Amino acid sequence: MTQVFPIARRVLEYVLKLCLLMVFIFPFLWMISTSLQTFRETLAYPPTLVPAVPQFVNYLTALEAGPFGTYFKNSIIITLSIIVMQMVVLIPAAYGFAKYSFRGSGFLFSLVLLAFMIPGQVTFIPVYLMMADWGIGRTLLPQIIPFMTNAFGIFLLRQYFKQVPEELIEAARLDNASELKILWKLMLPMSKPALATIALFSFVSHWNDYFWPLVMTDSAAVRPLTIGIAMLRETEGISNWHVIMAGNVILVLPILLVYIFCSKQIVKAFVYSGIK
Amino acid sequence: MKKLSMAIVLTLLISMLAACSSNGGSSNTGTPQSSNNGSSSSASGNASSEKVTIDFWHSMGGANGERIDAMVKRFNESHDNIEVVATFQGGYDETVTKLQQSIASATGPDVSMLERAYVQMFSDSEVLADLNPFLQQSGMDESYFIEGLMGHSTFNDQLVSLPLNRSTPIMHVNKTILDELGMDVPTTWEELKAVANAAVVKEDNEITRYGMSMPYDTWYPLAMISQSGSRFFDEAGTTVPFVTDGTGEEVFGFLKDMQGTGALFYPPSADSGNIVNGMFTEGKLAILYQSTGTIGGLIQNVDFEYVTAFLPQNEMFATPTGGANVVMLEDSDSKDAAWEFMKWMLTDENGALPFIVESGYLPVTHAMIESDMIKEQWEKEPVRKTAYEQLQYAVDTNKDVAWPSIMHEFFSAIEAIMYDSEDIAGTLQGFQKEAERLLSE
Repeated sequence: MTQVFPIARRVLEYVLKLCLLMVFIFPFLWMISTSLQTFRETLAYPPTLVPAVPQFVNYLTALEAGPFGTYFKNSIIITLSIIVMQMVVLIPAAYGFAKYSFRGSGFLFSLVLLAFMIPGQVTFIPVYLMMADWGIGRTLLPQIIPFMTNAFGIFLLRQYFKQVPEELIEAARLDNASELKILWKLMLPMSKPALATIALFSFVSHWNDYFWPLVMTDSAAVRPLTIGIAMLRETEGISNWHVIMAGNVILVLPILLVYIFCSKQIVKAFVYSGIK
Repeated sequence: MKKLSMAIVLTLLISMLAACSSNGGSSNTGTPQSSNNGSSSSASGNASSEKVTIDFWHSMGGANGERIDAMVKRFNESHDNIEVVATFQGGYDETVTKLQQSIASATGPDVSMLERAYVQMFSDSEVLADLNPFLQQSGMDESYFIEGLMGHSTFNDQLVSLPLNRSTPIMHVNKTILDELGMDVPTTWEELKAVANAAVVKEDNEITRYGMSMPYDTWYPLAMISQSGSRFFDEAGTTVPFVTDGTGEEVFGFLKDMQGTGALFYPPSADSGNIVNGMFTEGKLAILYQSTGTIGGLIQNVDFEYVTAFLPQNEMFATPTGGANVVMLEDSDSKDAAWEFMKWMLTDENGALPFIVESGYLPVTHAMIESDMIKEQWEKEPVRKTAYEQLQYAVDTNKDVAWPSIMHEFFSAIEAIMYDSEDIAGTLQGFQKEAERLLSE
């Protein structure tokens, strides 16, 4: 009896996990399946789940539908620039908030938290007008400058830095290490999981961003991949869902790769902050 | 020390960034430039004049987007002194938003595609150029265009838009099903009801074939209101006569009756067009009310006898029109060059004509109808001709600046009636009150 019970429990656990997994993974599988179907198969009801003959040509059709090289390059430049700039700004900021007590630090930190809570929909019109006024509408800058800081990142990294024991920092100072050296050699290596998390969240949200580039750009030259994929849709008439889904697979592939690369660090970040 | 090195890193990164982005910018202009090597044979007046760049915004994604790009390439190759840069700005609604936004910040295009129902709103804001002088200067007048498509062109005595990619709803028919039933293609609502009910197939209490369907859109109720001899807005633009004269109840009562028996499948709102196209292609519908824009896709994909016909009449034949017009922005610095491009699109046989023929949009000028390209196509695919012939009954009764906001209210009324089966008269009265308030604003 005592033997049967744990086994039943484990089976139940796996079944539940599997159900949950299906909920999350099914849309992805359907996307991949649709991307390999013929037009007729996409229209069929009940829906086709396994295409009769995988149509890899859909990927070629999607790529030939526009200047995808430019879109891809723009997406990479925008996303990487944002991540690098955010790191440059948020690492010192988080260090300052975590390890220094100065006048007004509480007030300044609450300003950061406030920035974290203001939705982009409130600020996009003034920001757009500002960028248009500066005459940089036809460059990639309007898609980068507004995201050079990351309030959530400052918050997360500050919490992480706070967990680094004060004694370690004191010891380093006694050894005549500069603040920059402490940050670089001590704080950052101990905060790898948090940094990976911030970078990944940033990457995913800006790589997938549709709203902001749609508002900020009006020429194909500066548009990212998300807008390029949206172009595959027909305005009137019949949309080629198989081609659109092929475009979507191309879009999410880098995210999956980065996730596989970063996932260990992220799990660590949450486990660590969970134990505290 | 820390501050200094940070500052250095920061400056470095910013300059790197700037370099990156300016690279991104210039590499783009490279693409269109390459096209002017093509031909230098065209009749450009003075070679010394500088090349004018015309920004052209459009709403065509997918295959139609490629057709627009091909058209612009043809223009650039035949015009040494003008270079048109075509940019896709999202669907019709998104393009409107982009235009509003860019006009406010003085970064708008010279020429744009504009969904016809929005033309009046822009015209009232006086941001569209009057095309009358340009038309006269080219020795043309409005009679050059097909009359049924000019409903959204003149406001306050100014000609502010010309038809470009226009469509109408028509009736798509699975003739194979009708032949099985031994019935003719319906021409009146009564016949439609009979055919749609006869076409329903039930298996184990589940409907496997419906009589007819239409996308979730205001277009089809609008058509049916006109077919019953009423109007959406009155001439003065103060009220919605179709509610007060009882037509609204008749139209929605007719649809609800059919929905109740399975004769009408009313699709869910999200992606409704694709859903009903799919059902029609799979033979799960006998009749489909849908845009002419789908003809090309349907011809390629159906394996039954497919015909098109006029939307059936109640008291008269009537159809609204749809699609987009082309406008010139008042703010444009190069109006002459912009007109050159517009004129070329609408008059040259290498202009918009190939795009129209391939996409299935309607020919917009009499010259296009006389062209070999259209004649050949109509001979080969007579289903396309129906849409043009139906244009003699084109009537747009939803013209008002307030239409875009009233449209949302009308959608809500359609949802309440078609999905939630709320009381038709009560829902329409609520709509009337809201519409009159918006009209009086």
